[in-house]
Order: sequence, then C-alpha cells, then structure tokens
Amino acid sequence: MRVNPNPLPDLLAALNQTKLQTQQATIEISTGRSVNQPSDNPTAAALLVDNNDQATFNAGYLQSLSAVQGQLSTADSTLSSVVTALQRAISLGVEGGNGTLSDSDRASIANELQGIQSQLVSLGNTSYQGRFIFGGTSTGTPPYVVDNNAPSGVSYAGNPGVNQVSIGSGYKLAINLPGSQLLSAAGNDVFLSVHNLIQALQTNTGIPDAVTAVGAASSYISAQRVFYGNASNQAQSQTTYLNTAKLQIAQQENTLGGADLATAATNLTQAGIDTQATLAAISKLSQNNLFDYLK
Amino acid sequence: MSGLFGTLSIALSSLTASQQELATTSNNVANANTPGFSRQRPVVVTGDPIVEASLSFGTGVVLQKIQSLRDPILEIQLNQATQQQSQLDTALQQLQQLQTQFGSATSGIGADISNFFNSLQQLAPDPSNLALRQSVLTAASNLAADFNTTANSLQTQRANIDLNVVQSVSAVNTLTAQIASVNQQIGNLKNAGQDPSTLVDTQTSLIRQLAALVNVSVVPTDQGISLTTANGTTLVSGSQSFALSTQLGSDGVQHVLAGTSDITGSLTGGSLAGFIQVRDQEIPSLAGSLDQLAAGLATNLNTANARGTDLNGNVGANLFAAPPAGGVGAAATLTVAITDPALIAASSDGSTGSNGNLAALSAVATTPLANGQTPIDSYSSIVFKIGNDTSNTSADANSSNLILQQLQDQRGSISGVSLDEEAANLIQYQSAYQAAARVVSAVDALLSDAVNLGIGSAV
Repeated sequence: MRVNPNPLPDLLAALNQTKLQTQQATIEISTGRSVNQPSDNPTAAALLVDNNDQATFNAGYLQSLSAVQGQLSTADSTLSSVVTALQRAISLGVEGGNGTLSDSDRASIANELQGIQSQLVSLGNTSYQGRFIFGGTSTGTPPYVVDNNAPSGVSYAGNPGVNQVSIGSGYKLAINLPGSQLLSAAGNDVFLSVHNLIQALQTNTGIPDAVTAVGAASSYISAQRVFYGNASNQAQSQTTYLNTAKLQIAQQENTLGGADLATAATNLTQAGIDTQATLAAISKLSQNNLFDYLK
Repeated sequence: MSGLFGTLSIALSSLTASQQELATTSNNVANANTPGFSRQRPVVVTGDPIVEASLSFGTGVVLQKIQSLRDPILEIQLNQATQQQSQLDTALQQLQQLQTQFGSATSGIGADISNFFNSLQQLAPDPSNLALRQSVLTAASNLAADFNTTANSLQTQRANIDLNVVQSVSAVNTLTAQIASVNQQIGNLKNAGQDPSTLVDTQTSLIRQLAALVNVSVVPTDQGISLTTANGTTLVSGSQSFALSTQLGSDGVQHVLAGTSDITGSLTGGSLAGFIQVRDQEIPSLAGSLDQLAAGLATNLNTANARGTDLNGNVGANLFAAPPAGGVGAAATLTVAITDPALIAASSDGSTGSNGNLAALSAVATTPLANGQTPIDSYSSIVFKIGNDTSNTSADANSSNLILQQLQDQRGSISGVSLDEEAANLIQYQSAYQAAARVVSAVDALLSDAVNLGIGSAV
C-alpha cells in the first residue's frame, strides 16, 4: 500500500501534543496544584468548593470559640467573686447573730453588708467587651439597678433570653445564663437574701434564718457556676476537635487539588524526551529523496 | 503507412507524450505542498493501429487524459470529520474561556457564599457589635459583586459568540458563492468534454473550508454538485448559491435563517454549531443556575431577616434587593439593599443583644434551594458541570482530531505527491523522450540515405 508521502502534519500534531503535556506539567509544578481549572478534574474541582466551605466554617467556629471563651471565663470568675462575697456576708451574719453584740455593733455589720450588696450589684453588672453578661439578651444596659421599691432593693432590668453560638456543624453552645436564673433567681435571690440579712441585723430578729438563706443563695450560685464550667469544657474540647478537623480538611484539600510533584516532574521529563524525539524525527524528515541522487 | 515517415510520426507522438508526461510530473512537483491538490497521473494509450492486409501497425502513443487521484468517499469522510473537529474545537475554546470564571475554590462566588455565612457566624457571640455587622454587609456585597461580575462576563462572552456566528454565516455565504461559481466552470468544462480535475481540487478544498463552518452534505447532480446542510437546506445547487442570513431573535441572539426558515437549532456540525451550542445551551444553562442560586439566596435571606428585629427595634428589612420574578437576571442584578449595619435583624426577642435570628439567617446555608441543593452545593454543581462539559468536549475533540488525522493520512496515501515517485517518473519520461529523439535522429539519417540514394550511386 502506498504510504502518505507527507508525514509532517502528523509529526507537528505529535509535537503539539508533547508541548501540551509539557505545559500541563509545568503549570502543575509551578502552581503546586493539580486542579487549576474545573476541567482538570471536575469532581475534585466541585469537592474543592465544598472543602473550602468546610475550611472557612472550621476557621469560623474556632474564631467564635475564642470570642466566646473570654466571656465564659469572665462570667465564671465573676460568679466566683459573688460566692466569695456571699461567704463574707455569711461570716458577718454569723458574727452579728452573736447575742453579746450591741445594736451599734450590728449596725456597723449591717453597714458592711450594705457594701457587700453594692459589690454584688456591681458584680451583677459585669460586662465583657461592653456587653453586660448577666442581662439575658439585653446586653446594652446594666441589668441590676438599685430600686428601693423592690423587695430586695435591687430590680432586674434584663430579660430571660439566652444566646447560642454555633461551634460546629449542628453543634450549638449556650453562652450565657440570664440574671433571672443567677443572682436574682426566684427563691434564691442573692440580693433579697443579703437585703433580708441586713434587715434582720438592724431589727435583731431572725438572724440565723437570714444567714441560712444567704448560705442557700451561695450554694445555688455555686451550683449554677457548673453551667459555665461545662460550657468552658465543651468549648475547650471542641477547639481541640476543630484543630484536628482543620488538619484533616487541609489534607483532604491537598489530596483533591495538590500537585503530585513527583509524577508531574516525571511527566515533564517524559514530555521533554518526547519533544526531543519528535523534533529529531522532523529534522531527519525529507532530507533525502530520489531527486538528491539524480545527477 | 509503415514507412519512414510513419516511424517519424510515431517518434513524434512519443516525444509529445513524454513532454506531456514531464509536464504532469513537473506540475505534481510544483504542487507538492499545495493544500487540497490531488496528484495527477498521465494516462497514455497506444495509438489506433493501421491495418494493412494481415499486418497491424501501431501508430505510437497518445495521452488520453491526465487523471487526478482522489477517493470521493474519503473526501466525504474528511468533510464529516472536519465538521466534527471544527465544532468540538470551537466549543472547547469557548468552554475553556467560560470555565475560567469558576476556576478557583478559594475565590469567586463559592468562597463568597462561605465567607458570608461565616461572617454571620462571627456575629453570633457579639450580635450588637457594629464592626462585626459591617463585615457581614461587606461579605454580602462581595457576594453580590461576584455574582454580578460572573453573570455579566457570561453575557459578554455570549455577545462575542454572537458576533462570531454572524461572521461565520458571512464566511459561509462567501464560500457557497465561490463553490457555485466553480461548479459552473466544472459543468462548462465537462460539457465541452474537457477535464475539470484542477477545478475539482479547488472545489473540494472550498467544500472542506465550508465543512469547517457548517455541516454540509455533498450530493452529485447533473449540474456538478449540490450542497445541503443536515436538515436539507440547500446551500448550493449547480451554479446557484443560496445565502444564509442572520436575524436578531426575541432571545437577544442572532438566529441563522435560510430564506425565512430558522435553522439555528438544526445546525449540527462545523464551528457555527460549536458557537451556537455554547451560546444557546451552555451559557444559558450556567446563567440559569447562577440566577437560581442568587434568587434563592436573596429570597431566603430576606425571609430570614424579616423574622428578626434589627438594632433599631424594627422588623428586619430586605438584606438584598428582591430578585426579579422568575429569577431571570437575578445574578446580574443582585445588590445589597441595606447600607446600615444596624439593619441586620440578628435579634429574635427584640433586644439588641439577642442573636436568636442569626441562627435563622445561618440556616439558609443548609436550606435546600429550588433545585433541592444547598447554596454551596448548588455552586459546586455549577463548577462540576462546566468542568465536566469542558473535559468531555476536550476528550471528544482529541479523539475526533485523531480520526481527522488518520483520514488525512489516508488521503495523503492516495492523493499526496511523493517526490520519490515523481523523480522516478522523471527519469522514466526523460529516458523515453531521449529514446524517441534517437528514433527521430535515426529516421533522419535513414531519410538522408534515402533522399541521397541516387546521388550517392551516381557518384
């Protein structure tokens, strides 16, 4: 069979092919990415979008956690101070209950308790980065105001709202307890118990009961602190988990879209050899035909 | 007739034939690199014999015709392969341009969607913080801007393709007119009993150029050939060509008309079909998906925002301008409707510190849109589609290129000029010419002997 006398187009097409391979390998090596456009690997390109979404959210959850942890520890240490103040109130109450004390001694103890009451109000109005943390979701104004009309002398201006923050996919963490469940919880109202103790000292009646009530309020606050302890623990362990997930997401990203540099380098070398061979073939081509031998 | 003059006449016919053969060889060598040229072969036959009594004398050699070597079936296959190759190459080129809009996982619409929902997430611990609220608005306007840019560049590319369609149609018309004119010349030559080989090469080459633009079928007729597109629209019939025209359709793009009938949808080969495929299918499909995504996001986020209360204590207003009804153009027109970060309705209970409604806004990220997919999955589906279409077209273009190459090799093996062959022929014809010249010289000597016969004997 007669062969095509002009193989040049075939060789040029082959040359184009090897140059394309060289280009692809070069791009892969220079970018460090095997997926540089969706057609390089459509499935991986689509998965990389999801992967980036996961990475963004993972980083976001970590950022939220660090924002939340400050508030949680502030609340926890504030409640610790509340408990300390109440312990002091109890000792003062016990001291005041001593029958040998004079009225003026009890009055001065009552005065000191007034100071503790003020301190408690101030603790109840603790803010973190400008937000009052015991006002429920009413974070813009101090939740506790001195109010002589209120039974305890202090009224709660906050609300019972609780904010939740996502710290993982479908994982929400409540980040606050409203004051109405803490300092001014019905039945264990810290302000009322201290207020009653002050009055008991002033009137010298029912001091032991009032001291017991302050003790009960203190125990209640200690029990509620567990909420913040738990939340801190959850935040801590979720941070650890998210940091592990971050590595996994990065690994997955690399598996999906990272360049296999060894393979790419081999491809580049191979394409280089192919190009050389094709060029050599072209240069040898049609150097000789019968006309050369005609004298 | 078998005398010396007869011999001289035979030698003359040989000289003539050899000259013609040499001319053919020379022409082959000259056109060795001419695209579309089919090598020619002189067909010589022996002259009609003269019969005298029981003897039959040859009268030399006659060049009967100069034959072009080509395989008409192969030419048809080449037309088809060219149509396919040209369509796929054109589509691939456009798709590759198209997919650059969706090339990065860490920027563009996909990343913007992730960033927007992440900014809502960052607002949750401190919902009244104006800086964090501002970053939600910034993320929202980045999202809107990238939707706008992407949708607009799709439309720009569509408009560019539209220009290409018009240019291609005009190129088709030029070619069909040329083919019709060549057709007529071939017909004239045939009618005059002459050989139209060279013109057939020209015509074949023109048809190949036409095949690169549009799908054509070649039908041999009494008046040369007629050319039709796949759906039977006649482009050339004999010496007449029928021009295609373009007209702006109600869908905003140029339609290809043959006479008054719209053949846009029935063009299946050539770059024209490649352009139309990307213009009328790929881009509208991508634009539709983007519109659906933009409209779905805007509507769902507006609904979610309206469930909450903003920092001023008012019910949440639209975050994004309400998308157009039906969603068409939603991506190109997506705009953030608010500039005051206080208007993000994060609160579910009316107090400024509540973040309850941020959960509703964030939930849009995981709420299926009209297509049943979440926003980010909708986007990754778009990336997959354009990537997959490009990659498939690229694979098809590669295999179609191989087919075309093989057919061109086959054509070369039949019609290509081999310089070795031509050199061998040259020697052969040269020798024949030299031999015939020797015969003439011998006859000359003999005639001289014959003419001088009397004189010689007299001396």
